[in-house]
Formats: sequence, structure tokens, C-alpha cells
Amino acid sequence: MATASSSGLSSVLHGGVDTIVARATPAGRGALAVIRVSGPETAAVAQRVCPEVDTGSGWRAGLATLRGASGETLETAVVVAFPGPRSYTGEDMLEVTLHGSPYLVEAVIDAFVAAGARRAGPGEFTRRAVANGKLDLVQAEAVQDLIRADVAWQVRLAREQLAGTLSRRFAEVRSALVCLLASLEASLDFAERDVVVEPGVLERQHDRCRGLVEELLATASAGARIRDGVRVVILGGPNTGKSTLFNNLCGSERAIVSPHPGTTRDVLEAELDLEGVRMVIQDTAGLRSGGDEVEKEGRRRAVGAAASAAVVLLLWPTDAGEGEEAPETPSGVAVLRVRSKADLAAGDPLNDGWLAVSCYTGEGLEALRERLVRLVAGEIADLGGEVAIAERHRRALEQAMTELEACDLSRPELAAEGVRWALRAVQEMTGEVDSDEVLDGVFSAFCIGK
Amino acid sequence: MGELKADVVVVGAGHAGCEAAAAAARMGSAVVLVTLHRETVAQMPCNPAMGGIGKGHLIAELDALGGLQGWAADRAGIQFKILNRSRGPAVWGPRAQCDKEIYGRLMLRLMEGLPGVTLVEGEVEGLLLEDGCIYGVRLEGGVRIEAPAVILTTGTFLGGLLHTGEDRRPGGRFGERPSTGLGGELTRLGLELRRFKTGTPPRLAKASLDLERLDVQKGDPEPRPFSWRTRAVRNRCVCWVTRTPPEVRAIIRENLHRSPLFAGAIDGVGPRYCPSIEDKVVRFPHHESHTIFLEPEGVNSGSIYVNGLSTSLPQDVQERVVRTVPGLEGAAFLRYGYAVEYDVVAPRQVTRRLECREVPGLYLAGQLLGTSGYEEAAALGLLAGINAVHGLRGEEPFVPGREDAYLGVLVDDVCGREHREPYRMFTSRAEHRLLLGVDSARERLMAEGRRLSLVPERAFHVEQERWRKRRLARTVLEEARINPNAATRERVRRVAGVELSSPSSWAQVLRRHDVDAENVAAALSELEGLTAEDRRIVVGMLRYDGYLARHEHERERLRRMRHIPIPADLDPASIPGLSREVAEALEVEQPQTIADAERLPGITPAALAILTGRIARGGGGE
Repeated sequence: MATASSSGLSSVLHGGVDTIVARATPAGRGALAVIRVSGPETAAVAQRVCPEVDTGSGWRAGLATLRGASGETLETAVVVAFPGPRSYTGEDMLEVTLHGSPYLVEAVIDAFVAAGARRAGPGEFTRRAVANGKLDLVQAEAVQDLIRADVAWQVRLAREQLAGTLSRRFAEVRSALVCLLASLEASLDFAERDVVVEPGVLERQHDRCRGLVEELLATASAGARIRDGVRVVILGGPNTGKSTLFNNLCGSERAIVSPHPGTTRDVLEAELDLEGVRMVIQDTAGLRSGGDEVEKEGRRRAVGAAASAAVVLLLWPTDAGEGEEAPETPSGVAVLRVRSKADLAAGDPLNDGWLAVSCYTGEGLEALRERLVRLVAGEIADLGGEVAIAERHRRALEQAMTELEACDLSRPELAAEGVRWALRAVQEMTGEVDSDEVLDGVFSAFCIGK
Repeated sequence: MGELKADVVVVGAGHAGCEAAAAAARMGSAVVLVTLHRETVAQMPCNPAMGGIGKGHLIAELDALGGLQGWAADRAGIQFKILNRSRGPAVWGPRAQCDKEIYGRLMLRLMEGLPGVTLVEGEVEGLLLEDGCIYGVRLEGGVRIEAPAVILTTGTFLGGLLHTGEDRRPGGRFGERPSTGLGGELTRLGLELRRFKTGTPPRLAKASLDLERLDVQKGDPEPRPFSWRTRAVRNRCVCWVTRTPPEVRAIIRENLHRSPLFAGAIDGVGPRYCPSIEDKVVRFPHHESHTIFLEPEGVNSGSIYVNGLSTSLPQDVQERVVRTVPGLEGAAFLRYGYAVEYDVVAPRQVTRRLECREVPGLYLAGQLLGTSGYEEAAALGLLAGINAVHGLRGEEPFVPGREDAYLGVLVDDVCGREHREPYRMFTSRAEHRLLLGVDSARERLMAEGRRLSLVPERAFHVEQERWRKRRLARTVLEEARINPNAATRERVRRVAGVELSSPSSWAQVLRRHDVDAENVAAALSELEGLTAEDRRIVVGMLRYDGYLARHEHERERLRRMRHIPIPADLDPASIPGLSREVAEALEVEQPQTIADAERLPGITPAALAILTGRIARGGGGE
């Protein structure tokens, strides 16, 4: 991973480090806004804008009066000083929390600029953090995700990436690939008489590479599900109240509801955020035989949607006739069984694991929401928080996997090609691997030479 | 005070110096080649072999460009073997055990007789400079040789220091004094030097060894020459194999404090691929035994090179160690092993044409640039010779790309990258290894050799004709369909040992994993008119097809990509995966296009791929 150890890189890149200022919270009107200052002149700049702040004793919030260039009072704000290197960027920093008026925020930034700071370019704080070894690049990406994340789960995932779990996982993949490549190269670059790769070693190293990539890939698809929302499909016979429930969960009249079976023909979709858990909920055509071509196609789509969903809400009305059977649900999908139209017949609300719900009276709706959140969250929790969150990670890992699958270890010069391509595929995440590093692996593992 | 004038002065007549001098002279320049002693021209001071894996590739490329090493190794060779025969042809490494005396004599005669080359004995003590430009050299005793281009190939002689145990003395090689004045000159020019180390094993008297008991290693049954200049070669001797017994470890451990390597007397960094026996014992303590190859230094020479026992331990310890080894109990030493420390020029101070950035007209080649090995030295020498002449004529430099030749990989790595140890060629350094097999060297480079007038027209046409035939044969194999019927089934079964179930081409049959393609090719009437070797080459390429296509594609992409402009607001530090070194180089040099970036020191192909990927995605600053 490309991490710089000191501010040396920073000074090379920026021609001497200056002090930067920018708004850290999103643009626009909000209750509060945060302004950040970072750089060697932080204390001097603070001295002019908010002289009451003691930049020497850090990590303590205090109230301070902010003053403009001509000494006028702008605002009373909460100010925290973070002396470097124990700060986000690794430099001396200041964070100012103030009222979110865009005019006020601009005025305060102007005051800092007048006091000697420079307006930061996009991503400059994070870049400095990377340059100073406070973040590596995968972590920096996670920061971007954190900034964009708008629901609680995503925030948590982004935080965990920030803690370096994902970087660690990629580093593991990288070193496994380099090990395998070193063994292959050792058997190619040194004559048979000089180097003996023990039997089984290549196979074991190859398996390990595939295993690691596979594990990461598995979490990557889950990551995409979290980012895009976990898919919940409402499934059931005709006229079981699927669309009514759908509208109810969405809180709007998205689906047309009628007493006639077969009203819903295509798959309808809505995004939902329940207690910070994002999901995509889909309403489908009722499952029954017969009907016209359009209705048949609708059913085909319903079954397809259910098969690839994370959770199926299976509806079975309280007033179902004798001999009618609930439709089958696809295997491998979490199923939440719902007795709909509970108002039509009184009964045990949690009879045989069926949850009685009435959209008409509201009975059971709260319990349904709660169980839905738990189910979906459970799906996410299985991922253990180590998620390849960016789509490009997934593409790169898949590419690497394809290369690894095609490796024929009995032809080492061709297998080495495959591993090299696999490394190339993931190099943007892992940093490039050059031949010296592979040779390092060779020389540490094998007693070479004359 | 005498005075000589030339176009090019080459200082040092080792493997680099001879190639440089010959190339420059044959391209029409007047060359003065300065050597300390006539008798030591083109010496092989370490192992008695030329070529091997990676190194054999360099010789093949050198030969395709008209270089001398392959030609000389063919004539001085006494045992020929292709290493890695069990692998695919891209990594086959031709190697020849050579008669050192014949080799040196051949080169000396060639240098003395080559029109355009004047061989001068003497020590260069200073460089002639005016306004930062070089115009010649000054020999000890005051003789001046004026020339607008100077090529330094001083090997291990700059600041050379020899170690055997506690004994150390200044020297470039065994029995030869180092060059002292020149090192100071380079430092005065502002060149940064660093210290490397290398070593060599003892030489034993053949008559004192009990070789009868040991396993014999023979050359290939059908030895193959390196050079297009050579019709045939033959094996004239064998080598022997033995192993160190476990007690060697104890002897070495007891005496480690007397080893200059471990006692701290040596500051220079040694090559990990060529460790001393003391290194091996310390780093791999669980290895009970290490293999030793006994290689004759000449066909009539009584000297045996003890390959695998490089050491700088004191003489008495060397004797104890050697005499525990089966077959060597009665060994008489002709020469003890020693380590040599020497100065090299730190990388990035020469351009890819091997010219000093700060001193126009001054070219460097060989071990002085931090490489190790006769082949690496010769390769750099040839390139320096060509580029010195091109420089004088104001022509474009001759610098093969990494995707074109191992020569390109070598120049790129040696000039552009930090290396912590003497640089040796490995096939793993070549990203496009499958394209760069020994088999394809002539097809890749001989036209260049012709253009540089280093390869005679006739030889070029002979080769061209071979390529044409190979291409034709390939088309036949690819296009002629075999439809399954009783006769064709029987034939495929007989020739290839497999069943033909659907209409196929021979190419498809030959690509099958269960087919011994080489044997089949030897029997195919479709390949009539092709030599056995050309048949093998055609089939070898066929079996790499899918991979080669990918590399060709990549090579094309590289060529296209060179024209891509780099946006001015691109922030290299923000690009994931780029090493800090590369990001800094991009930031400092501000290249305008990918092609410019590629020329920067330290830029790897991987870095270029990442950079291009980012630009393609529309990446400016963030």
C-alpha cells in the first residue's frame, strides 16, 4: 500500500506545505456547519480569527468568538484544536462548528483566508492525510464513501473500512499472489538443479490465492447489496393484498390497488429506509395459473425477482379458501410469512410462524417492519463488516479470479502469466508489484545459487 | 607528451568495452580501446560459462544485433546446454562452458585486427573536459587521447578492494591493481557512487581431485550454437557434481568471525542470487548440504572452478571446507576464493542512451553501472557503442523498449531504478517474457542490426528466408483442415497419438495438452522444407498463441497509449496504486504525454497502466 511516512511527500507535491481551510460539511443550509483548518500555520491563523482558543492544549472543545479581517465579531462558535501529528491530516488542525448559514460560513472562511490560510482544493485534506501516512488509499476511498453514505449501515461499513480492515484484506491477497508468483518464477529463473519447489507448494499457494479472492468477492456482492439496498420481494397468490402492503410500506399509493385479481402485472419497485437500513422493495404479479400472455409474463418476472431477492415477504390471506396452498418460495432466500387481511378473521397473531397483518386496521404492521429490519440487518451483519464497497473493487477481483482459475500449474511460464495478470487486475487497490519484489520473495524462500 | 585522436575512446577492454569498441568501429568510427594489459582483454574472471536463463537471452539478442559474445562463446565453448528444457521455449536458456584462455585470445585477436580499432595499453588517470563537455582522456604518463565521445567500462576496477579472510588489498581482479585516479574524476564530475561487492570461489588443480567417483554432467546431445555466424558446435568436456557434507556448516560457523562479510570488513552490497557459502549456511541453516558443480576452466586447463563455493573466508578455512567435500579431499588450491568490493555509479545519472546526464559525450557501460555478469556487461557495451556513434552523428538514440527485448528491460532497469545489489537479468524481469524467447531474438532484432550495419546483408537474407518459411508453415498448419475419415484418423493416431473426432487443423491438434507437439512436428510432412529447429520454433509459438495474442494486444495498446496527453491538473498522489517514487517523479517532471512519462526514470509498465487507466476514466485532480 502506498503510504508516505512523513510530510516529505507533501512538501514535494505542494512546493512547501501551506495552511488550508475549507467547509467540511456539505454545501447548503444546515443546522450546523463545520470548517476545518490544517497546516503548519494553524496556530498563527487561529490567533487572528479566534484569539481565545489555546491551540497548544488540544482535543478540548471551547467557545470562541470569531472575528473578521477588520476585527468585527462574526459568530460565537465551538472550536477544537488538534495539534499534529495526532489529527486527521497529521498536521496541526482546527475544527470550527458554527451555525449553518451559507453567508456566515463564507464570511468565516474569508476571515481565515485573510489571516493567511488558503482555500483547499477538493480532497486536499484527505490527500494530506494520505501523504502523512494517516490513511492509506483504500481508507481514503472509504472516506469518500463515508461522505456519500446516507444511511446508518453504510456509515458503519465505511467506518470499518476506514479502520483498515479492507486494506488489510487486499494486502493479504497481494502477498498471497506475490508468494505464488515467487515460487513460479523461482522454478523458471533458476535451472532445475538450483531450485526445487517442493511438490504441493504451488497448489497450496494457488488455492490460498483463490480462497482469499473468493472471500473478498463474496463480501463485495454483499457490499453492493448494502450500497444499492437489499432487495425484498412481496410474493403471493392473486388478490392477497400485496400491492396494498407495498403501498403501505412505501407510505404512498405507488401501486394500483383493485379488488380484481391480476391487477399488478409488472414488478414495481421502491426504495425504503427503515431505521437506517436501506432496502429495495418490489411488488409482483399474483401467482396463479391461467390469465392472458401479459399476466403470464408478469408471473414469470415475479418468480425471477423472488429467486434473486435477499428476503421474500410471502403473503397468504386469512380468507383463503379450503384446499388453496401458499405458493412455493425459492430456496436460499430468507422468507417472512405474512397472514394478510387479518381483519377478516380473528386468530392467534403469531400462529405457526405466520405474522398476521392487516393494512386495513394497521394490525401487525409495526411487528412486520421490525422483523423486516431484523432480517435485512441480519443479512448484512453476516458480512462481518469487511466489505469491498466500491464496484471497481469487485470488477478487479473478478478479473483476478478469472486469471487464477485459468492457471495451469504444470506449465509454470504460462501460470506465471496468469498470476501477473491477476496482480495487474488488483494493482490499483494493492499498489503495483514490480519484479524486484517478486525476486525478494524468491531469495527469501529459496537457497539460490552458485 | 604523445597525443592520439579518435571519434570514440573506450576505457576498459572487458566484455562491455570490446562490444562497444567493435560496434562503434564497424559503424564507421575511429576507436581507441584502452586496456591496462593486453593479456587481460575479455577475461572471464569468475565462472567459465556464458549464457544461461535470462543471460542466454541477452546473448541471443546481442548476436541478432551483430554483437560478438555469442560468436566468441561458440568458438571458445567446450560444453553446450540449454537450461530449462523441461519448461516452455520462452524460458529456455542456452549456456556454454567456455575455455577462458581461448575466449580471451579470440577477443584480443579480433580487437587487434578489427579495422577502426586501435588497442592501447595504459591506465586512464583523468578525463579531458571543457565547459562541462568531455573531449578525451589522459593516460598515466601524460599521453592524451582526444575524442568527442568517451565510453567508460571499468568493471570492478574503480576503487577495487579484494578480501580473503582478514587479508585485504586494493585490486580490480586477482593479481591486478585497481584504477584509482578515475574514481576521483567521476566524483569531481558530481557523479554519485556506491559500493557493491561480488565474490568468486576457489580454483583447484584438476589432477588433485578424485573426479572418477562423482556424477558427470554432460552437454546436450545436439549442441546448438548461439550465433548466426556459427554453423555447428561440439561438446568437448564434462562437468562434475558433488555436495557439501553437513560438517561444512560447523566449520563455517566456527569461523564466521574471520569472514570479512560477517566481521563487518565489507560495506559493499553483494548479490543475493550468487551468495557465498558462508551466506548460504547462515541464511538457510536447516539445509544440510549444498550442491557444488566442478567446471573445467578450459579444455586443456588443469584448473577447476568450484561453482557453489564462492567465499571470502581465510585461506586455511577454505582449505578445511573444500577438503571435507567428497572428491575434493586431496584438493590443491590454484587460487583461493575472494570477494571484491568496487565502486559503481548510482542509477538515474545516465540516460537510456547510457550517456551521463551531466556530462554530454561521456557514456558508461558494464559493471560500472551496477550490473553483474559477462552478458549484461556486453549488452550495455554494445548499446553504449551504438549510441556514442549516433550521438556524434546527431541521430536518434537506439533504445529498444521493454516489450521489444531483454536489452530494453536491462537499459530501463539499470538506468531508471534503484537496485540494492549487482543487477542480473532474470526472465521474471520481462513483462512480455513470452514474446521475448531466444527463438524470436533474430526476428525481433536482426533488421535493426542490419540497419545499424552491424549485420551483413547476406546473413540477414538467410534469416529472413527462414522467417518466411516459418510463417508459411504456420499458415499451413492453421488453415489446412483434416476431415475425420478412416485414413486421416489413422494418421493422426499414428503421428500424434490422439483420436480425431471432429474436423480440425493441425494447429488445433498441436495445441492439445495431451499431444507431444515437438515430436509430432518432427514427423509432419506438412512441415517439409523446414529444419528441425524451425519446426520446433513454429510449434512452440503455436502453443503460446492465446498468450501471445494478449501480449501483442498489450503491445499495441502501449503504442497507442503513448500519444495520450496527461491532463495538467492530474494529481499523481491521488492515484491509487502508484508508488510514491513514481508519483514524485510525475509531479516533479510534469510529463505532457504518456510517452514522456514512460521515459522518466523509475516508471514501470504497471505504473503506466494505472496512470492511463485513471486518465481514461476522466480523472483530473480527484
